Amino acid sequence: MDCGTCETSGPVQVMTPEVVHVNLTISDKAQEMLGDAFGDDRSMALLVGVLSGGCSGYMYDLQIVEETDQLCQEITVDGFRVLVPKASSHLLDGIEIDYVDRLMGGGFKINNPNAESSCGCGESFA
Amino acid sequence: MPKVAYADAALTVWKGRDVPQFIDGLSTNKTIDMVKGEIRQTVFTSSKAKIIDLATVFHMGGFFAVLTHKSKLESLLKHITPRILDQDVSISDVTSRNTFGIEYACSNTKVGHFEAHGGETYGYVNQHYSIIVASLDTGVQFDTQAEPFHEWRIENLIPWNETEISSVHHPLSAGLEHLVHPQKGCYIGQEILVRMLSRGKKGKILVKVKNGDVAEKFITTRGEQQSLAIVREANQ
Repeated sequence: MDCGTCETSGPVQVMTPEVVHVNLTISDKAQEMLGDAFGDDRSMALLVGVLSGGCSGYMYDLQIVEETDQLCQEITVDGFRVLVPKASSHLLDGIEIDYVDRLMGGGFKINNPNAESSCGCGESFA
Repeated sequence: MPKVAYADAALTVWKGRDVPQFIDGLSTNKTIDMVKGEIRQTVFTSSKAKIIDLATVFHMGGFFAVLTHKSKLESLLKHITPRILDQDVSISDVTSRNTFGIEYACSNTKVGHFEAHGGETYGYVNQHYSIIVASLDTGVQFDTQAEPFHEWRIENLIPWNETEISSVHHPLSAGLEHLVHPQKGCYIGQEILVRMLSRGKKGKILVKVKNGDVAEKFITTRGEQQSLAIVREANQ
């Protein structure tokens, strides 16, 4: 294996989906829970992203951040600053962020009209 | 030891800080704990747990070399590249710069490692065979008579690309159960494979049969006296 030549070869074509303007909604219960988490400090933002992996290929990534080095769209939803990485915008347009109040399997949930299937735990989708 | 050309091999170089997690998150074997100089096989699977391709991963230090198959490279890239998203992963195809071979009927003692001899890199995939990757300028030529190799792998129940390792089978039925890590985290197809493992049911399994013992449609590799076949587990 010639690693010298390996390093000079060009990259393969990577499929880059078109960036879309994301519309998302936050359910009343999720707004209430986010309000508790944010407190009065609305300088923080809710990062709604997607990672590769999980049983179905993509996993949701929800974080409260001050800022991020990812290239994001910034939108305001019901008074919350929401950041959506442009690279995963095509997977997140139209989602609803919900909160399920259950002892087991409860917490924030994403209802995603783009998902063809989801895994049992609800964290992963395809 | 005999060497045979591995004509259908494809080699890609994967670079970037997110590559270890990326491969681990999309394939059946645990690769995230690999260190420089190690080699490990893993299987990229679809959401229905069918094989997309068998990959042999070389940890080169600053990057990974991933040996897959030319016939499946397009579908593999179509499966993985949309999942790169924001991650630091770039992939280059270096197949045309190398030549590939298999050394078989070995008794490898350095299983899980690779080493270079001149311009040839020997990857000790398992006890029985090694994958050889040589840069074209070495001028290495491998035997193109594949029949003795296929007779050998029938005898040793070793699955191969396009015959057993195909998109109609899942890794457990194609003789790749040892590449399905029982404890690693989620990857595409995991739910199905783990359910089959926990119930002790694989559906179909790879077996060695005498010619004429099973119907032709189950034969995946035909040898002179015996063949490999994928048959319903219940029939065994």
